[in-house]
Amino acid sequence: MDTAVSLTDITKRFDDVVANDEVDMRVERGAVHALLGENGAGKTTLMNVLYGLYRPTAGEVYVDGDRAEFDSPQDAIAAGVGMIHQHFMLVEPMTVRENIALGWEPVTHGGLKTDDARIDTEVRELSERYGLGLAGDLDTPVEQLSMGARQRVEVLKALYRGADVFIFDEPTAVLTPQEVEELFDIFSQLTAQDKTIIFITHKLGEALTAADGITVLRDGERVGTVDAAGTTREQLAELMVGREVLLDVDRAARGASGDDTRLSVSDLAVTDDRGEPAVHGVDISVRGGEIVGIAGVDGNGQEPLVEAVTGVRDADAGTVRFDGEAVTGLSRRERLDRGLAHVPGDRQEQALVMGFNLVQNAVLGSQHRPPFGRRGRIDWGAAREHAEAVIEEYDVRPPNPDLPARSLSGGNQQKFVVGRELSREPDVVVAAHPTRGVDIGSKEFIHERLLAMREQGAAVLVVSASLDEVVQLSDRIAVMYEGSFVDVVPGDAATEEQLGLLMAGEQPDEPVPTGAGR
Amino acid sequence: MSATATARRWVFAGALVLAVLAALRLVVPAGSVPGRMLASVLDVGYASSVLRLTVPIAFAALGGIFAERAGVINIGIEGFLIVSALTTVIVARRLPWAGVTGPAALWLAFLVGVLVSVAVAAVFAVLVVRYRSNQVIAGLAVWLIALGLAPFITLTLFDSSSPTIDTFGTWSVPLLSELPVVGPVLFDASPTVYMLLVATPLAWYALRYTRLGRRIRACGENPKALATGGVSVSRVRYAGVLISGVLAGVGGAGFTVGQVGTFVAVGQTSINGRGFLGIVAYLFGNYNPFAAVGGAMLFAGFDSLQLRLQQIGALDIPAELFGILPFVVVLVTITLVRRTRVPAALGEPYEGEE
Repeated sequence: MDTAVSLTDITKRFDDVVANDEVDMRVERGAVHALLGENGAGKTTLMNVLYGLYRPTAGEVYVDGDRAEFDSPQDAIAAGVGMIHQHFMLVEPMTVRENIALGWEPVTHGGLKTDDARIDTEVRELSERYGLGLAGDLDTPVEQLSMGARQRVEVLKALYRGADVFIFDEPTAVLTPQEVEELFDIFSQLTAQDKTIIFITHKLGEALTAADGITVLRDGERVGTVDAAGTTREQLAELMVGREVLLDVDRAARGASGDDTRLSVSDLAVTDDRGEPAVHGVDISVRGGEIVGIAGVDGNGQEPLVEAVTGVRDADAGTVRFDGEAVTGLSRRERLDRGLAHVPGDRQEQALVMGFNLVQNAVLGSQHRPPFGRRGRIDWGAAREHAEAVIEEYDVRPPNPDLPARSLSGGNQQKFVVGRELSREPDVVVAAHPTRGVDIGSKEFIHERLLAMREQGAAVLVVSASLDEVVQLSDRIAVMYEGSFVDVVPGDAATEEQLGLLMAGEQPDEPVPTGAGR
Repeated sequence: MSATATARRWVFAGALVLAVLAALRLVVPAGSVPGRMLASVLDVGYASSVLRLTVPIAFAALGGIFAERAGVINIGIEGFLIVSALTTVIVARRLPWAGVTGPAALWLAFLVGVLVSVAVAAVFAVLVVRYRSNQVIAGLAVWLIALGLAPFITLTLFDSSSPTIDTFGTWSVPLLSELPVVGPVLFDASPTVYMLLVATPLAWYALRYTRLGRRIRACGENPKALATGGVSVSRVRYAGVLISGVLAGVGGAGFTVGQVGTFVAVGQTSINGRGFLGIVAYLFGNYNPFAAVGGAMLFAGFDSLQLRLQQIGALDIPAELFGILPFVVVLVTITLVRRTRVPAALGEPYEGEE
């Protein structure tokens, strides 16, 4: 076997921050290699070096045994390195054909027309050869495709540009479990024809399932390279975090109190920004001391549902009740005053003012009431104390309340937001993607806090794109598909596969036992 | 953008015009004063006049489309029209001194008018692409500077605030111009009308089928996707803005030397908001050249209508009130037709390139 990619002693420094510190990595041709690490471990930076987006401060890159000095992604592409970014580099309103050829369009008629016939022949041939199944969709605008299909468009685009080495950045983040399996099939198709795959992930299971070799990064340094075969999740987790990690939440062992329905939603219908019906006929009730998880592929109405429950968006029909009292007509502030805590899905857009410091951010949502707000003025002393308490309790780093929210990493921003919201001593907690973008260690902690809320008798509604998370936390799971619940199942009765099918809008062959029901 | 949304706009525009006319027909007894008004509107002259008035708005709209689809808000398009209109008049008036006269002088003046518009577009492009200025502010600056300089230059060079020049007149296409109704409207028209008839499908084709067109569209939607495809986002944006300058220049210069034969350097100048109407026209047309020109035609229709109603003078309403008619239509249209799909990356300076 020969080496397709070899990175030797790569160091990448941004001013004073060392993102990669003498990292070595070798990938054989035709192999699948996982680059594993927590957020901020330097995985993406390392791959951006390989893809020509960054020049390494020190160290050397070899592709096919040749020394490569890429000044731009174009150089990398020319050397046969393609990258499939986490956020697809696709132009949504444009067709599959237009997207695949973008920047590489052959032309006819003296340059007056793109040679679509030629693009089509080539793309069909590639789609066939690698089993990508896109030959019939060339005229479809990308925005009409599922996330899985969009990813295949990206793969096809890289193939069209002549890639031999494929870098996937967190490729499973937007996929359903079935689509993940399809993706791993595509990996096999590619490697069967001697293509090489490197994929970035922080999910242990995926690295173990899909990869041959695994390189683990921590704090910018390579802490180990292992064969997937013969390595356990626990070993990987320890390598990744640097200490032993509790991978599974033990929900059963935790007490829960309260029995009354604290949050109930009946026959809810919501319209999204485009004026399309996004949620319809949703019924759910959450008891005190219960966590209900909403599983589903992103974009199936979870966001409008959460917004309607928390008062960010008006419902078209239906009722939301807190402790039996209808709050549908109440504003967001009135709902907060009635014991709501809301962790929004998009922390930078909805939870924090990026230019405000943590003291200012700490009082958002409570600025009008004691102890912070008094007669229209804010008591900044109380606010600072509160911010410091949240920072301390949730281990927000760096622990400096005077820093603007912008300067924190995503994971720390998230911890701060969760801390602020849960410190309201809420009766109803609505958390959308509570651990999105946070590392395993912080995730463990946030889960812990949510379970503590449950213990204290709050009704907790969790929305997450991560099936693991929903399964681990939830007493009951509602699966959302195209704006309504396809099923509500007990948390410990459903298998991931069954949930995956429900998430794709299909009924599993073997019905999930419905112990608790709705 | 979906074809059905575009079609819906068209139907809406057509229905609005027809509804207004039909309503008038029903309400108004023939032979009365309003009846005569109606008759004067529903004739060949009206149609030609609508087409003429469409030209500057439509070229402004086409120009705006190219800039915006590349991701650059071009709110200064009114300024492009003003500078090209003014330049055309200056050149046309000065050339006879150099011995160039007749149509040659007019065409040369037209050409220089377009070039100056392109030059202004180039400055604007450098500001917003290279220096990443706020596009709205830079655009407003273009407009305000043009608006301020135009009267100053006019009064410095000429002894009148509305210097006049000759116009292209109309070109008759042999045979075709003999056709009833269509002939005099479409085939005995100003050359600028023919330019529009050619430019509209060309713009549509270019955006859809040429390499540059596709890159321009990608650039306004997801410039990163374009950059990872190895294409310079800056270059594509420059191209979009410069094409915008060409088209707006044709609009401004063509309006002046092809139709009115003067530049009025008072108030809003003779351009009088046509660039802004162009912006509304392409928003109305959802960035589709054909639909945008349709929108321009709608506004021109009401502009022409108000002119005619003023001329008849049968109604005792101040001319200024008639004058706002096209703008009222604009307000009504943008209130009723809402689903404009704006390019996703519009107005965002691209940070990826050094």
